[in-house]
Amino acid sequence: MASPEINEFERLLFDWEDGTLDATGTTRLRDLLRTNPEVRKLYVDRQMFSAILKLDGDAGIGSSDTGHGGIETAVFSTSERDRLLPCADSENTVKVPTVLHATKDSVEGVDRRYTSLLLVVAASILFCVVLGRWLLVESRLQSAEQVKPAPNEVLPGKEEATSVGIALVTRLVDVTWHESEKQFTVGDALSVGVVGLESGVAQIEFFCGATVILEGPARLVLESSTVARLQSGRLRAQVPPAARGFQIHADDLRVVDLGTEFGVAVNEGEADVQVFDGEVELYQPNGEQRLVTAGNAITQAASGVVEPAELTPDQFLGLEALDDRVRNQKEDRYQRWLNHSMKLRKDPRIITYYSMEQDRYWKRKLASSVVPENRDLDGAIVGAKRVVGRWPQKSGIEFKRPGDRVRVNIPGQFGSLTFACWVKIDSLDRWYNSLFLTDSYQRGEPHWQILDTGQLFFSVRLGGGPGKGHHKVLSPPFWDASLSGRWLHLATTYNVETKITAHFLNGEKLCEERIPDELFVKQTCVGKATIGNWSSPTRPEADFAIRNLNGSMDEFVLFRDALKPDEIRDLFVQGRP
Amino acid sequence: MSETEQTEIFVQQLAECQGRLFGYVYSMLGEHSRAMDVVQETNLVLWRKRAEFREGAPFMPWALAIARFQVLAHVRDQGRDKCLLDTELVAVLSDETERQVDQLETMRLALRRCMSDLPREKMELLRLRYYRAMPIAEIAKSMGRKADAVKVALLRARRRLADCMHRRMQEG
Repeated sequence: MASPEINEFERLLFDWEDGTLDATGTTRLRDLLRTNPEVRKLYVDRQMFSAILKLDGDAGIGSSDTGHGGIETAVFSTSERDRLLPCADSENTVKVPTVLHATKDSVEGVDRRYTSLLLVVAASILFCVVLGRWLLVESRLQSAEQVKPAPNEVLPGKEEATSVGIALVTRLVDVTWHESEKQFTVGDALSVGVVGLESGVAQIEFFCGATVILEGPARLVLESSTVARLQSGRLRAQVPPAARGFQIHADDLRVVDLGTEFGVAVNEGEADVQVFDGEVELYQPNGEQRLVTAGNAITQAASGVVEPAELTPDQFLGLEALDDRVRNQKEDRYQRWLNHSMKLRKDPRIITYYSMEQDRYWKRKLASSVVPENRDLDGAIVGAKRVVGRWPQKSGIEFKRPGDRVRVNIPGQFGSLTFACWVKIDSLDRWYNSLFLTDSYQRGEPHWQILDTGQLFFSVRLGGGPGKGHHKVLSPPFWDASLSGRWLHLATTYNVETKITAHFLNGEKLCEERIPDELFVKQTCVGKATIGNWSSPTRPEADFAIRNLNGSMDEFVLFRDALKPDEIRDLFVQGRP
Repeated sequence: MSETEQTEIFVQQLAECQGRLFGYVYSMLGEHSRAMDVVQETNLVLWRKRAEFREGAPFMPWALAIARFQVLAHVRDQGRDKCLLDTELVAVLSDETERQVDQLETMRLALRRCMSDLPREKMELLRLRYYRAMPIAEIAKSMGRKADAVKVALLRARRRLADCMHRRMQEG
């Protein structure tokens, strides 16, 4: 164990290096150096250590970027690649030997290799300058060498774009995210990286089988499917036998689970580990290892001292408590939506609205929710099943088989339009996957669907010859398999004043496009139409016939107006599950 | 031996000792750019005095003796405001430093191996602090952490790395 003077010295030296040590501190530092031989030994040790790091930093070992004076080292660029790559562990073991080889070369070889080059210069007046710049020269030469292998090393880096996850976000309650960190929603796959909670609770399930409940404010760094590092905050981990060996690193402490439930909290360099069930192995930075069994707790002070502590299981939110909070949140959100929906029904701009919330008795009828009531707008459910919607309290409609659909008939002439719905897409099986398609697709009739490429597609039929019959507005691809089974809010506005069509996903505008004058249609209409499929009595060609959606819908609304972006945003916010 | 050959040997030895010279000077001054300046001055003096250097004699002790002289001169000029060590402390610490500097390249390789075992977060901290010479306050800001927490983490990382380095060196 280090003596108090040694600890004090380390802190003082650290501050002095940082330029933040005051005069009193500096005097004390000098006194320690003068009086304590142990301190002197440590001083040389630490300075040598810093010097080596500086040398490596200046030499730009491994740097492939000389333009910015590249001071990354090989060791560190390896780490940066790892951070982006999902399979960090295997990458690391592959890369490190080559890096070591390269740097070894440069340490022992470069000097000699360029001596002759230097000799020529040595004769000239430039010599002093060159020598003075020695480290810089060395760094450039090494940088130049390091650039060569780069192309090979870039390739694995590019593959990282396909985010292979190591864990899933399974529940979120009242979460606000740390503003400098990524934001996640339930169902998101997490890869290697940081989960930063400002407040609220997140449940994260690691692919190894361990479940972690993270309470904000907290910062958790996911390193692999079996290892995470808690930098600050509090978590409770539940580790079934299948996930034994799951590790939480609390700063320098390594907590290895032996099949159990435990809590870890890190605050300002202090770490607490509490074992509620089973046992964990604790590895301390000094190599010491200890077993902590159920009902026991330890705390590591900022100084590194580890001591037994009191067990306080109530401080760590468990799965059951989280259940209650999730239930409460669901109930709250459902009520919020219901209140909003009650107002929406009376909006005079509504053409038709299916909240899909009521009519449990008229099972094959999809009642229109418009107020004042208009039973002519009720839809007919064909094939499609009633399923649970965004909340357990509420139903939705599932489209699965090629025949599944909801038939509607909407009379009238309109101008601008807004389509909006909540949809859960299981997969995009068809070239065209219907959200809302009018039967015959005559002049002025809209088609709203999703391409198999994951793009929203909206068009209003102009009529006339084939091919030139409409102007389609395609969004960028917004859907891929990672969104499968997630409730999404989709909306599209068709504005006849500005001739602009805009697509929205979850309240955010995906894109907008102005329709060319020659393809623009001012007057719109619907008539007979189908939700979740296409019925085309006039065009029975087989290759167009199957456009059924593979997924569920919960709430569908059509306005005789182009809603403003903040109104679309509000639809999303008020209806978010 | 021709003059050209002698010069060649001299330059080669000078080149080979640059890392160790920096290690020594940096240990004495603890500040990067001033250490670089003093190494540069030392090189100049060594070059001017190359005639004094006896062929066959060990180069490093001679170079270090001159470096020590340059460090002392620098400490005297800059005074206590800028330098942590005064002339007395430089004298006291020089012997131990020179001993350690001898092993600098071995330490360098050992340290790199240790760093490859370090967790990513720690490496990033060290990178910012030592390679980029970023002040603690800035590091803390960039990582959204408290300065004290960054300090504790860096101190621990340094201690851990230093221990590892010594272990590796013993392993050979």
